[in-house]
Amino acid sequence: MATYIARRLIQAVVVLLAVSLICFCIFRYMGDPVISMAGLYATFQEREEVRRVFGLDKPTYVQYGLFVWNAAHGNFGKSFVSRVSALPLILERFPATFELATCAVCIAFVLGVGLGVLVSLRPYAAKSRLIMAASLGGISIPTFLTGILLIMVFSVIAGILPSYGRGNTVQLGFWRTGLLTLDGIKHIILPACTLASYQLAVLLRLTRAGMREVLAEEYIKTAWAKGLPPRKVIFKHALRNVMIPVVTITGLQFGELLAFSIVTETIYQWPGMGNLLLTSIYENDQPVIVTYIMLASLIIITLNTIVDILYGILNPKIRYD
Amino acid sequence: MKKPLFLLLFGLLTVALVGYTMAAAPTSIIVAQDDSPAMMNPHGDDSDANLQYMANFFDGLVQRKGADGTLAPALAEKWERVDALTWKFYLRKGVKFHNGNPFTAQDVKFTFERTANPEVSQFVNFGKSLESVQIVDDYTVVVKTKTPIPWFVNNLHQLFIMDKESTEKRDAGDVMVKPIGTGAYKLEEWVKGSYVKMVANEDYWEGAPPIKKVEIRPITESSTRFAALASGQVDMLTGVPLELYDQVVADKKLEVVSRPARRSIFLVMGSKPGSPLADVRVRKAMYMAINEDEIIEKVMRGQAKPAPQIPDPPTVGYNGELKRLPYDPEGAKKLLKEAGYEKGFTVTLTGPTDRYIMDKQICEAAAKYLAKVGITVNLDLKPKSIFFPEVAQGKLEMYLIGWFDGTYDMGRTYAKLVHSRDLDKGYGELNGAFFSDAGIDKLIESTATMLDLKERTKTLQQLNKMAMVDKIYCIPLHYQVDIYALQKAKAINFKPRPDRWMVYKEISFAK
Repeated sequence: MATYIARRLIQAVVVLLAVSLICFCIFRYMGDPVISMAGLYATFQEREEVRRVFGLDKPTYVQYGLFVWNAAHGNFGKSFVSRVSALPLILERFPATFELATCAVCIAFVLGVGLGVLVSLRPYAAKSRLIMAASLGGISIPTFLTGILLIMVFSVIAGILPSYGRGNTVQLGFWRTGLLTLDGIKHIILPACTLASYQLAVLLRLTRAGMREVLAEEYIKTAWAKGLPPRKVIFKHALRNVMIPVVTITGLQFGELLAFSIVTETIYQWPGMGNLLLTSIYENDQPVIVTYIMLASLIIITLNTIVDILYGILNPKIRYD
Repeated sequence: MKKPLFLLLFGLLTVALVGYTMAAAPTSIIVAQDDSPAMMNPHGDDSDANLQYMANFFDGLVQRKGADGTLAPALAEKWERVDALTWKFYLRKGVKFHNGNPFTAQDVKFTFERTANPEVSQFVNFGKSLESVQIVDDYTVVVKTKTPIPWFVNNLHQLFIMDKESTEKRDAGDVMVKPIGTGAYKLEEWVKGSYVKMVANEDYWEGAPPIKKVEIRPITESSTRFAALASGQVDMLTGVPLELYDQVVADKKLEVVSRPARRSIFLVMGSKPGSPLADVRVRKAMYMAINEDEIIEKVMRGQAKPAPQIPDPPTVGYNGELKRLPYDPEGAKKLLKEAGYEKGFTVTLTGPTDRYIMDKQICEAAAKYLAKVGITVNLDLKPKSIFFPEVAQGKLEMYLIGWFDGTYDMGRTYAKLVHSRDLDKGYGELNGAFFSDAGIDKLIESTATMLDLKERTKTLQQLNKMAMVDKIYCIPLHYQVDIYALQKAKAINFKPRPDRWMVYKEISFAK
């Protein structure tokens, strides 16, 4: 197991280097950041001086080398737009995105699996068909449309939930949380539901399919025949075996939600990392973009590794060496 | 025993919920703005989006007030031009920074010298244009510039004065997030990306502002911003998007305030010798081929004013005599035939997609109009982060751009945009399409040392006419319109500023 984790770590470093190299190559085509950094009325000489001060006059491979060297020491450069260090700037927004992604995953998991089990038990009932049709909507309706619809219904027409922002937050050390105030909780409901809608639908259909297959197995028939209470048959025996693909998918999706929930964050003006990435791309803020992509890669690689290990725990037949 | 406890908790919860949903008290206001502050360092960003936030926490030596943007004293009570290179400022006495430090000439010298440092300032051009800043006494400063700058004072409303002592003592990161100025408001809390809370400075030298608490919620997504206003969560919003204009007007609870912006949108054409655009007849034909009234009606939904020139009425150099050429596609075709381009030609129109209102759609419409007179247009639309560097490099053929000059003086605009590219002398850095005319160049250079306002005005007006009518530097399209929306019930007294800045000391409640 230890060698397995070590191998994954080395793979992670390789991926990070590759990702940052690709970013640097793309930056050559993204436009010259010095134009906006030196101010609108700067003369040509003043722009060149700004270029020198920020080290942007060096050839690309030198800039890349310096970047990797500094990154290895924890310095990811300063944002061109807000002139503060890039990594703390991104990490400052991590709690907001993390809370949003976690709430979305919780909603998707609990409702998705729960409804999936219900639907699998009585697949031809009217309620089940209705839920399946709704899940189709969840998969096909794009996130921004879901978001705007929810805002229209719950915020503008009904006026019971707020339409943007995090509300009142509490600072606990370095972590700014919105979950400790009622206002914060009200603010997270709509964005979490929007983000969860696709997940929910996928997990629902996955659980239903898995449960339908498992419920027809012989050992389940034995369990019913033994006279076990229904709760035990369904949850302890049937659902456990369906959990493996469900947990795998949830874990993989969680990484994507953390790193790329850009659309939902933009709609709800959620001050998370995705929002920052979008504005950085618009403003051509290269240090922040490359740092963010590296951070996102690290998050996804870590989560994938955790899911693989969890997979090994859930299914004793899997062995890593 | 459990039931009364439960009821008590339930009651408290209800009260808490009700408390949260109650509207803001009448001395405070919640505003949804369409741009957020990048930093609290007043020199680090020269865009209006950031400067407007700074205008609340800081003051400059001068300020621009109200609906006309007239130049008025701020931290300098009086100023005079000693000679072509020297300006003398008499500073206001008894002003204190938010931390209690007194405002003196030391702070002015420190501020001006700081602007030359590219690591903390985007006003590098201003900083480097200064020769020296001399402190005569605690309340008198003499500034010398390297070359004569006629619009020197006109621009000082954008240079905010920082406190020398605390800025030097604090580390750079703290300066970026905590503003210490002399302004009408103090920063209470800034949660990046979420909100900016300001509280009135009761000791403000101009008198405490009427609104005591301001909460600004930057919301960049326009439909979310509108939803925030429609659901009553905010009292006011800036930047009503054109697509939602009809809905906002139809809502009985909302009031719409709009005013013509200072920014004019125009299509610049290069004049490379040998290209079809070098012939004035072709340029005139292209001008006449574009139906601007229809663009205003259909693309801008009526929210734009046709512009015959680049500067707006209050700017020095605005020529009231100039009129737009009327839409005349037949006349355009005739001119093209005269110039020998009956079969038309191909030209590339470059434009930004995310900078001006409907910029992409305007370019597409212009391309269609030009196609009707036989000119094939290759559209090259790109994000502003790639577009503006290309303009600075000067390699384009024809492009869409918008402009207004914060100095209210056309001289600087023309030097940067219209003069031929001469990077050594500092001209034409933003002349993106190789436009060059010797007559215009000479006239621009002659105004560089003209300090007498009457002479400047006359020459700049003449220059304006030459560029617009004789040489047709560009096809002027329209002035944008700034649209704001307010909750009627709040009775907010708000007159929009021409530079679109939200300066909260100028806003009050009508009650």
